[in-house]
Amino acid sequence: MQASSGMLTKFESKSSRAKGIAFHPKRPWILVSLHSSTIQLWDYRMGTLIDRFEEHDGPVRGVDFHKTQPLFVSGGDDYKIKVWSYQTRRCLFTLNGHLDYIRTVFFHHELPWIVSASDDQTIRIWNWQNRSLLCTMTGHNHYAMCAQFHPKEDLVVSASLDQSVRVWDISGLRKKHSAPTSMSFEDQVSRANANQTDMFGNTDAVVKFVLEGHDRGVNWVAFHPTMPLIVSAGDDRLIKLWRMSETKAWEVDTCRGHFQNANGALFHPHQDLILSAGEDKTIRVWDLNKRTAVNSFKRENDRFWVIAAHPEINLFAAGHDNGVMVFKLERERPASTVFQNTLFYITKEKHVRSYDFQKNVESPTLLSLKKLGSSWVPPRTLSYNPAERSILVTTTADGGSYELINLPRDGSGAIEPTESKRGQGNSAIFVARNRFAVLNTTSQTVDIKDLTNNTTRSFKPPIGTSDIYFGGTGNLLIIAPTAVHLYDIQQKKTTAELSVNGVKYVVWSNDGLYAALLSKHNVTIVTKALEQVSTLHETIRIKSATWDDAGVLLYSTLNHVKYTLLNGDNGIVRTLDQTVYLVRVKGRSVYCLDRASKPKILQVDPTEYRFKLALVKRNYEEMLHIIQNSSLVGQSIISYLQKKGYPEIALQFVQDPTTRFELAIECGNLEVAVEMAKQLDRPKLWSRLSTEALSHGNHSIVEMCYQKQKQFDKLSFLYLTTGDESKLSRMAKIAEHRGDFTSRFQNALYLGEVEDRIQMFKEIDLYPLAYMTAKFNGLEDECQSILEATGLTEDQLSLPKLGAPLTPPKLVVPTYKANWPTKATSQSFFEKALLGQVEGLSLDDEPNAATSGLGLDDVAEDDAAGKRNGALAEPEEDEDAAGWDLGDDVVPEVEEGFVNVESADAGGAGSSEADLWARNSPLAVDHVAGGSFETAMQLLNRQVGAVNFTPLKARFLEVYQASKTYLPASAGLLALVNYVRRTVEESDPRKVLPIIPRDLEYLATNDLQRGYDSMKTNKLEDGLEVFKGILYAVLINAVGSESEVTEAKKLITSASEYAVAMAIELGRRKLGTTDVINKNPQLLKRSLELSAYFTIPKIQVPHRQIALLNAMNLAMRSKNYNTALSFANRILANGGASKTLETAKKTKAQCERNPHDSVEIEFDQFAEFEICAASHTPIYSGTAFEECAFDGSKYHTKFKGTVCAVCGVCEVGKHGSGLKLFA
Amino acid sequence: MDPFSAEGELINLHNHFHQGQYQDVVDFDTAALSPENALPARVLQLRARVALGQADDVLADVQGEAEPELEAVAALAEQARGDAAAALKTASRLAASAPANATVQTLAGTVLQAAGRSEDALALLSQHQGNLEAVALIVQIHLQQNRTDLALKEVVAARRWAQDSLLVNLAESWVGLRLGGEKYQQAFYVFEELAQAPATSSVRSLVSQAVAELHLGRTEEAQVALEQALKKEPAFADAIADLLVLSVITGKDTKELTSSLEKVDAQHPLLTDLAEKSDLFDKAATKYKAKVAA
Repeated sequence: MQASSGMLTKFESKSSRAKGIAFHPKRPWILVSLHSSTIQLWDYRMGTLIDRFEEHDGPVRGVDFHKTQPLFVSGGDDYKIKVWSYQTRRCLFTLNGHLDYIRTVFFHHELPWIVSASDDQTIRIWNWQNRSLLCTMTGHNHYAMCAQFHPKEDLVVSASLDQSVRVWDISGLRKKHSAPTSMSFEDQVSRANANQTDMFGNTDAVVKFVLEGHDRGVNWVAFHPTMPLIVSAGDDRLIKLWRMSETKAWEVDTCRGHFQNANGALFHPHQDLILSAGEDKTIRVWDLNKRTAVNSFKRENDRFWVIAAHPEINLFAAGHDNGVMVFKLERERPASTVFQNTLFYITKEKHVRSYDFQKNVESPTLLSLKKLGSSWVPPRTLSYNPAERSILVTTTADGGSYELINLPRDGSGAIEPTESKRGQGNSAIFVARNRFAVLNTTSQTVDIKDLTNNTTRSFKPPIGTSDIYFGGTGNLLIIAPTAVHLYDIQQKKTTAELSVNGVKYVVWSNDGLYAALLSKHNVTIVTKALEQVSTLHETIRIKSATWDDAGVLLYSTLNHVKYTLLNGDNGIVRTLDQTVYLVRVKGRSVYCLDRASKPKILQVDPTEYRFKLALVKRNYEEMLHIIQNSSLVGQSIISYLQKKGYPEIALQFVQDPTTRFELAIECGNLEVAVEMAKQLDRPKLWSRLSTEALSHGNHSIVEMCYQKQKQFDKLSFLYLTTGDESKLSRMAKIAEHRGDFTSRFQNALYLGEVEDRIQMFKEIDLYPLAYMTAKFNGLEDECQSILEATGLTEDQLSLPKLGAPLTPPKLVVPTYKANWPTKATSQSFFEKALLGQVEGLSLDDEPNAATSGLGLDDVAEDDAAGKRNGALAEPEEDEDAAGWDLGDDVVPEVEEGFVNVESADAGGAGSSEADLWARNSPLAVDHVAGGSFETAMQLLNRQVGAVNFTPLKARFLEVYQASKTYLPASAGLLALVNYVRRTVEESDPRKVLPIIPRDLEYLATNDLQRGYDSMKTNKLEDGLEVFKGILYAVLINAVGSESEVTEAKKLITSASEYAVAMAIELGRRKLGTTDVINKNPQLLKRSLELSAYFTIPKIQVPHRQIALLNAMNLAMRSKNYNTALSFANRILANGGASKTLETAKKTKAQCERNPHDSVEIEFDQFAEFEICAASHTPIYSGTAFEECAFDGSKYHTKFKGTVCAVCGVCEVGKHGSGLKLFA
Repeated sequence: MDPFSAEGELINLHNHFHQGQYQDVVDFDTAALSPENALPARVLQLRARVALGQADDVLADVQGEAEPELEAVAALAEQARGDAAAALKTASRLAASAPANATVQTLAGTVLQAAGRSEDALALLSQHQGNLEAVALIVQIHLQQNRTDLALKEVVAARRWAQDSLLVNLAESWVGLRLGGEKYQQAFYVFEELAQAPATSSVRSLVSQAVAELHLGRTEEAQVALEQALKKEPAFADAIADLLVLSVITGKDTKELTSSLEKVDAQHPLLTDLAEKSDLFDKAATKYKAKVAA
């Protein structure tokens, strides 16, 4: 029996004793009826109490939701059954009839019926539509504790303290009530009355089976949702399983374990499990098929009274002494992990599968983990190692364990893992390609293990560590209850710590720079150095998260997919109707796993967060693109933009003039503001605009605003400051018209018009002031006239001391003509782009880019394919051959003194790998690579009679050079020399062999083609070098199989033939220029001969055609028509390019008229012969000849003992054991 | 407590040094270190400077210092300047006078080995008491002597007490590159992890990664890594040498690389070795000739 560690509590309430529970079938609601007479309606997802219903008198024991209607029913110790509407939140009616406490009430799944069980020993069926009692079932002779309808058939099962369980057949009742409905009201009444008479000896409900087996009272009984099974719980502490057929019912088995009264039992709606609850404070889970205990959850102090299951989802609820708890039996989060474009996940059947994000296809089952952990516990986490293609799976079974398994290359059904390494641990994750970390929470240790499951180091994590996650290279993220630690594995210490509560999951961004720490209600984004970037709170539980490539975190709550940017700006992407676990975002697709562990693709609109991201990153092109392509509107985005200080961008989205005006003012876009102000024409707006314009220095707009507002004073002053005298004087006129003297005075003052002022003063009878003004400005005439008008003399006046006359300042700059340079226009790049001013932002060129991208892809793919083929062609079979062939060939003994240079000065030194190569192989090339040139030469001498090694020097050094790498090791010392092998997989020192540069395949695809090219392009000197190079390279080489030996031989022959051919033609050209040759009959003869011999070597047909054409033309020129004819015939026989054929035909026609040779040459077109490579003369078949043991070139016997003219290495006529390329 | 152990405060300095991040070692702020670690830190920084080619400055720095550690550094600097005789003299003296000093072991051991006196170096180094640097040196010396078996033994022994420390991993990888087979891949992991993490990447680790890749037959990847390394430090002779080897293997022209290697380090083993082999070839070739001259 296990501890209650696996309990996944989703909700708990505190209240008095809970006696009845019912799940709402659709909404996250639960009804709880309490011993205290209250019925509570909870939202268990949000954890909030929605409502309370308090009309019962005394404890309420039974409660049930209607499946479809907004109704519920309750039954209590007040003998009453009440039917409620949770919409109107009141009791609709009460059904009276029971004579004692009511224990349970249940709705029928389709008929408008309620079944109730009561201490009055009866079970009653009610019709809640016409609120009548349909049937009373008697038979129990003690309290009826529980009665339930069968979910499909016309059956009721009941439990009673009389120790029996009864199954009732109510098909009669259904027949009676589903009769044709064309009944009059009277009929119905009589029918209803008839029911009453049926009460005794009725046939509506008859006992079908009486199940006896409990030896105490039975508290609860329930049908299986699909199978003919019944489970019951009794005071005898037993859970009994019953089976029934059409005719009988019997006890199947008993689950023993409760050590106090068992109060409730039910079948798991989807799995073969039984759950039971009892007064021993435990909830127990049993295997339905084996009737063995699977799990048990114990509460410290509370006895359990009732247990209920959600009909659809994997949720259960249990009522106890102090409230209810809603819980899950197992985690529904499928274990999964993402690597690049592949999702690995474990299905409900415990199969490992993968999902390709690019092709959107699910793989077949890669592996079956049936044997992992206990059968009822799904794996918890999955970690993938791409280098080894292995997975780490953890499960909570057996106190937590992990398993390291290699995935097969391709899925071929449910294979059991062939070999796996396992151990105890609560979390296990890969931390490097060859290391994984295992956390053991009970012992509080973290072990770092290598791939063979050996602990390489071990340390104590911070106290209370509950989980570990990958923390970037060499680091772990250690999750403790109130903090997250970044732990350096090498240093064995915490390098950073962040206090975050209750982190459950860590999700790394794709670039590895950020991680999201998910706890129940919070998302905290941190950098890879564990510095907090932002955090946000959700009231709904956060389930999962994944990063967009651009650095936006998408996360899912129970009912939403949301996003958050690094700066914490967040919002809703879409709603969810079922909980999912996000694994990947790609464009508009969000990939996720649902609770059934099926990959799903949700379509989302990423516009909003992309836009916000672009805004934050100031990526205006992207924003522009989004604006032009998507319908991005709405108050939220505008207020967001405004809040974030981007009014100018918000401006682009708004149509409403008021908002536009506000935004324009905010971003200083006066043009728009003016436009909007004109549209709206409200004084308040004008005044705000004027202030804004003034601060910009845009006085023409200010002027307009003042005009609109009729603010004459301000206008005047504006004109004064801008020096616009004409307008100022017009203002004066206006003031005069308006009769506003103050304004008039002011304007006159601004204009410096003294007369006007005096005139005005006079008009308003302010003579003293008029006089003063006149006096002050020295207008004595005016003074006099005023004095006269007032009848005063100058003496009578006492004047204050006067200063200099006031004159208005002179105009310096005609500011009024144009605006000052205004405040820097805030027209952003973005606006310019919108106005089409920025080039290269047009959207048309995108498809082009896309197609060109495709094209590139194709090429890349082809390339890759080509390479793959290349790789395939490379054989890897030479390992098994290395050992046995040693004695087969003449392998010269390694001369110790020379090879072991180091052994002289270092006593303890061993022989280097290079020496091993020489020992391991009879091939010359391996001796060369090992630096054992002498033995290599010996070998070549014996194999092919090589005597002149000078041409091979480059190849020797090439091979030798390729054999060693230089690994920088300890500082201050020379680099460590390592020996490069062609046997990469081999580690047995007796089988290792060196790498060979320019292997056969390389030669065939590179050098040989170059040789052909030089033939085609008539660069024969180069060609000769190339073909000789090929010969050297093949001579010092190794191949992987016998068939390759044949290929190598072909290559040698071909290269040799070309070398001979080219040498012949080059020899001909060396004879001299055409003139010289033509003058000298000897040379002419030789020239014609050589040109004819040039056609003999077995070179490729197109190349032979060149030789033939050449020979034919030369023969024609020298009037050797007969020979030319033979060449023409050969050309025609070979076929090929039509131009060549045309020439040949013409020549042929010409020659046939006169088939005679004017120069006699040694060339018998009908004889079979080969060319001596040294003398370039024919060796007729039948005559003796010598050849080169390596390249097979032929020689007249007189050349025996000389160095082969073709390869320049071997002695002609010296027969060795043959070239060895494969051991 | 060993100041270089995982818990010690010198671990970062130590790791930087052995990851080949010499400049980081020199730039390391040692002011905050506890007094007893000041000397080891200084020694490490001096060694880093030697590795960076500032042997003369270092020699001037430690002139007249009496601590055996600093004398050992002086020996190292002398050796780096090419004054092998003086270095050897100092090293031999220190090996006799302070053979238990870890720094002396490491540095004098290095000098002795560099002078070809492997046996003396091993004799000195074998006296170490949990000195990982000594272990690494011993491993390297054994490898240079082609005693892979002894090197492997040393690593396995060290792994027992030093767990997963950087030097043990490195030394194991060195051995792995000799053993081959699966060990190539494991060595590759170690080097790659160092080379690809920005915090630990250095030219040396990149070259090491490339070498492992080359041995694994992944020539394209090796090429990329070597080019990366040369971008970081164009005059890193081993990188040029390895690139040269790679070019030979892939059949490319090597003239340019050979000349640049000659420019950077005319005494590089690849060149000296090649010259030696070239002579050997000429000598060996004279033993053969055709019966009849053409």
